[in-house]
Amino acid sequence: MLSRPASKSSRYICKACRSAINASRKRKFGTNSITSNPTSDDIYDVVTVGGGPVGLALLAALKTSPSTSHLKCLLVESQSLAKQKSWSLPPDAYSNRASSITPTNQSFLEAIEAWRHLDLTRVQPYDEMQVWDAGNAASIQFDWSAEAIKYNAPLRTVATMVENSNLSRGLLRRIEDVGAEESMMSGWNVKGIGNGIDDPEGCNLSTWPVLELQQIGSEGSQNTKQIATRLLIGADGINSPVRTFAGINTNGWDYGRHGVVATLQVESSSDPASPFQNSVSNDDFDSALEDFLSDDPKSSSSSSQPNFENITPSNRATAFQRFLPALGGPIAILPLPNNHASLVWSTTPQIASYLKSLSPSAFTATVNAALRLEQVDIQYLFSLPTTISEPNNTSPHESELTWRLQHTKSTPPSRSPPWITALQPNTIASFPLRLRNATSYIAPRIALAGDAAHTIHPLAGQGLNLGLGDAECLSRTIRYAVEHGMDIGDLMALQGYSGERYAAAVRVSTGVDLLNKVYQIGSGDGLVGSLLGAARGLGMRAVGMVPGVREAIMRTVD
Amino acid sequence: MNSLRHDFIQSCLRSVSSASPNSNDAQNPEATRKYKYLDVGCGGGIFASSAARLPNTASVTAIDPTSEVIKVAREHQRGDPMLSQPGRLQYLNCAIEELDSHIEGQGKESFDFVTVFEVVEHIDKPAAFLRQALAHLKPGGWLIGSTIARHPVSYLTTKIVAEAPWPIGVVPPGTHDWNKYVNPSEVREWFAHENHELHTRNVETSDNEGRIEAGDKYGVVRVEGCIYLPLLGWKWAGGTAESR
Repeated sequence: MLSRPASKSSRYICKACRSAINASRKRKFGTNSITSNPTSDDIYDVVTVGGGPVGLALLAALKTSPSTSHLKCLLVESQSLAKQKSWSLPPDAYSNRASSITPTNQSFLEAIEAWRHLDLTRVQPYDEMQVWDAGNAASIQFDWSAEAIKYNAPLRTVATMVENSNLSRGLLRRIEDVGAEESMMSGWNVKGIGNGIDDPEGCNLSTWPVLELQQIGSEGSQNTKQIATRLLIGADGINSPVRTFAGINTNGWDYGRHGVVATLQVESSSDPASPFQNSVSNDDFDSALEDFLSDDPKSSSSSSQPNFENITPSNRATAFQRFLPALGGPIAILPLPNNHASLVWSTTPQIASYLKSLSPSAFTATVNAALRLEQVDIQYLFSLPTTISEPNNTSPHESELTWRLQHTKSTPPSRSPPWITALQPNTIASFPLRLRNATSYIAPRIALAGDAAHTIHPLAGQGLNLGLGDAECLSRTIRYAVEHGMDIGDLMALQGYSGERYAAAVRVSTGVDLLNKVYQIGSGDGLVGSLLGAARGLGMRAVGMVPGVREAIMRTVD
Repeated sequence: MNSLRHDFIQSCLRSVSSASPNSNDAQNPEATRKYKYLDVGCGGGIFASSAARLPNTASVTAIDPTSEVIKVAREHQRGDPMLSQPGRLQYLNCAIEELDSHIEGQGKESFDFVTVFEVVEHIDKPAAFLRQALAHLKPGGWLIGSTIARHPVSYLTTKIVAEAPWPIGVVPPGTHDWNKYVNPSEVREWFAHENHELHTRNVETSDNEGRIEAGDKYGVVRVEGCIYLPLLGWKWAGGTAESR
């Protein structure tokens, strides 16, 4: 603001700038010795470490927007992006890493013109979530049916299941589409990160991150590269080296649980209430609506089309989640096309390794049991031997399931979960569940996105959604900075990103963590446990009954 | 506040052109046009460096008579390879009166934008100063600036609060002189007066090179008020101090 300082006392570096300069001087990761600044060829505007969906989405967004497409960008990924781009599976097989993408993120992917590069025959939008609790008889159904009935419209999508590989491949195709393939270095590792130097004959890059990259599989210094960047983005996962370099700590804990994933085949039922059988297609609905609105008397007598006044909006697919408090966490069945589904079962490490040791038929029987039997029954199944001993090759799990189904007292939700018919070979895997949140998502010339910034419990399917939200917000923040002549690595330029995303991540991760804690209550067998379970059931019913609460919950994760 | 300056410049450009100056449409000549800036009283170079980074900037010449701040500005420039590109951003330690001798060969009226942000309130004779600055403006160019209005509220904020002792104050006492502040109406009146003077002069001069114009030399004066809100930052005030 001053055009001329009025006195000597005003010639000083303010405290914020001083601490920023000192902080950036102390940063270091890995081994790195920088004796000269990289030449201008190796100086970038944005370097992103990490080629997962979040890093790829950010690059695609920056290259799509005219304001930022001129920025010199680089994405560094240790695995082969070429392999990801050529990923291909037949229509009857699905990857076991699939995520539930919210409509907001789908709009973002459409805006950066990546959505159309996905194989859309392999994604499954679903209209409904059935949530119920094995500890009581309560259940709740999440959908937008209230709106659909009110506006006479087809059901709004709750979310869309997308295989992570389908998403990554689509983003890579979009990046190629905009001619930015050269901006990616695949098969390179980050060996170390340091700072540039103050070159008396050149520029002062002492606040600029300088990365030492090494091509994987090469020894010595043949294939190494040193690059400097105005803004370094860590989209490099839960153990983020960029975050370590920035000196940013994390808070959080391990849940002591594992998430077991698998791809399942499910029975296509002819039951009209089955989620895998459309009662009325959206096209029929649209033409019936047209007839209803037209004054032509002839059309109202057409019998081949459904009578508009009698049909309800059709259901494309349903996601199911059953809480199993006595067994460590919920089991979720998420719909995929062609009578397939994705399993995510959060449970104890012991149960997880037991499940992974089962034969395919025993495994499917156990999953069916987990969706239908009481917890004591399921627990009994876990005690059965894993080797097949019965003469007709049936696992003991299958016979137990058949017998106990006749006697079970557990209450199904309003729409029954599908019957699992088979396990897709080689799709069982597990990963430890953790909560992590970085104490800050930004530092001078650093921004963190995706799992590098935050990791949450999978029970609400929000982890990747938070990451994509980060990518959208960061690309918007960079765009604003460029349009206003800011240095995009300046802490002031990044503060908008931190403010928006930190609050969002804390909101979602806290909510999910609380939900998880609530659903761990009642893990004991005693009276207190069952009373608390009943109380929780009342709470669930209340949420379902009070108008607007369900919709409010759905809107927060929309 | 610097972001608001750029928004204001964009809104000025939009008010005379139908095309967005920031679009990358190659057909539109306005879109590919690059601008030359003269930043008078640049201080540490906050505005000058941000203008130099814009994709549609050809060059920025930034001047300030105080050598210490020019040193700070040049040191900041060294920390950014983009600003160090030859011809992009040039800092000169001189006053507006001395500028001609520093930019020989460029001639008068060579800048698309002449900017005077937070300067006029420090100048004893603003009229003479502005005339000097305006002499460097191309026809069709813009003079863009910001200053503090002479209003009781600004006395409170810039004198009583800003120049208070630590921990409240943010600038040394004596930085500002409230009597030197100018108001939007005074600026408008001065430009109207300048137009009238020049119009009269042009009609009376025989050697006018056919420059008798029905219109004025200076176009419409656009003014927007802005205010600093604690915790929220600088915001447009939706009017000016006078119009409230």
